[in-house]
Amino acid sequence: DVVCFDNIGCFSDEMPWSGTTERPIARLPWSPEKINARFLLFTRQNPDSHMEISTNADVISRSTYQPNRTTRFITHGFIDKGDENWLIDMCKLMLSIEDINCICVDWKSGSRTLYTQAANNIRVIGAQIAYMISIFGENFQQKPENVHIIGHSLGAHMAAEAGRRTPRLGRITGLDPAEPYFQGCPTLVRLDPSDALFVDAIHTDALPVVPYLGFGMSQAVGHLDFYPNGGDSMPGCEKNIISQIVDIDGIWEGTRDFVACNHLRSYKYYSDSILNPQGFLGYPCSNYDMFESGQCFPCTSTNKCPYMGHHADQFKVPNGVNKMKFQLNTGDARPFSLYRYRVTATIDGSRTNLGNFKVALYGVQGNTRQYQIYKGMMSPGKTYQLLIDVEKEVDDLTYVKFIWNNSVLNPLLPKFGATKITVQRGRDGKMFQFCGKNMVRENILQTLSPCK
Amino acid sequence: TTDKRGIIINLNNGELCAISAQCKSSCCHRKSATSLARCAPQSAESEICSKKSLYATYYHCTCEAGLKCEGDWSIGGSIVNSNFGTCVDPHRAKTINN
Repeated sequence: DVVCFDNIGCFSDEMPWSGTTERPIARLPWSPEKINARFLLFTRQNPDSHMEISTNADVISRSTYQPNRTTRFITHGFIDKGDENWLIDMCKLMLSIEDINCICVDWKSGSRTLYTQAANNIRVIGAQIAYMISIFGENFQQKPENVHIIGHSLGAHMAAEAGRRTPRLGRITGLDPAEPYFQGCPTLVRLDPSDALFVDAIHTDALPVVPYLGFGMSQAVGHLDFYPNGGDSMPGCEKNIISQIVDIDGIWEGTRDFVACNHLRSYKYYSDSILNPQGFLGYPCSNYDMFESGQCFPCTSTNKCPYMGHHADQFKVPNGVNKMKFQLNTGDARPFSLYRYRVTATIDGSRTNLGNFKVALYGVQGNTRQYQIYKGMMSPGKTYQLLIDVEKEVDDLTYVKFIWNNSVLNPLLPKFGATKITVQRGRDGKMFQFCGKNMVRENILQTLSPCK
Repeated sequence: TTDKRGIIINLNNGELCAISAQCKSSCCHRKSATSLARCAPQSAESEICSKKSLYATYYHCTCEAGLKCEGDWSIGGSIVNSNFGTCVDPHRAKTINN
């Protein structure tokens, strides 16, 4: 059967909205009044306290909304709520670098119900967003091209519904688009590249919901699909239970992380990418194993790398192309940004010895921590290679340091040293070569300077 | 990473700790006297550091291998665990020109 509401049309629960293997249970969406979606506007004129607007031209005209600047909607997901601080923090971060209308969509009364109900309620809110965008267009002459909707979990498919109803919508960003009731469904139902001129997605919880409780989709849904850390288990999410719940940002944040740490990482990466896009460089690669084995390294003019997150739209998508997959690694805690290098080290030593060695990079903008390149039988003359993700952008390299040790007592005081270390930078493939002569004992730093 | 995870020992960065020996990074770090301590990475060269001490936790981590935490120490400082310095490579001068 069908339910209809004024201004936003009718909603049926026939195929494909239900009655399929992916969507077995039929539920009609609630009315806009029952869902009570609220639109909280933040602008540079009111960065700290929101101004509530609605799908009514007079209300909008009395607000600080201005049509001559980009409008970005942010929508939350299941059981979440709009004035949850991550939406407001994201608005503040964006306002710190750009003059926009930032609208947090709070539909908590429609999201705190059965999942199957919430998964249908988003259709109504998506229609309301589309209606609001049409008001921006007709009453304020704002083109849909500079409207952007950022949706987390169910919010991503809500953005898709708005995009489906808004031809030439500028951009949709899906932050870990929800999997249950959407993955494997026809494009009408879920987020897909046709929903906006530019669709980018960040997958951070892509394992299947049964049995792994992965809430996010693994299926590529945008023009650009990013799979940080492989897309299914995020660093820093495997903390033991106590450390997870007693979180740095407090118990509530910790409980949210305990329930859905991987799933929530997507919006944390997006927030961090606003101020620091270079730390989230995506490497074009069809899967994580190829990425880890170094096949998709480095970025080149033909193998271009976009920034994951807020600045992803700087990437020129070849027309007609979509579902381009990108891989990258992130840190285990804030700031999540990392910078990828390939380190190739040839070592020399008194004789073969069990042990491990690390390399630290020194550049124009400071130096990184020491990163373990190899652990095992270190034999003189051999070359070892590893891809590492360092925590700091140190710009062009000036020298590197090598240090080795093994956990065994060495009465013969063996010495090792690196004769040559080549470092290739991921973002542009630039090579830096360093040479060294002297050998050092355990836990002594050997400095290598540029080869003559 | 498939290394073994512990509740008491072999803790990853970010996990709650009481003493530094519990942490893989061997640094149990707390921001302030009242905040909870968590395992954190050791300080890199030219970062702020604490000298290794009998105290279980540090306001700034100790230095990475091969580095020394250089700073002006005071008896009082070592009592209230506020002996901070900067991580320095003791061999930096000699090896730059090789």
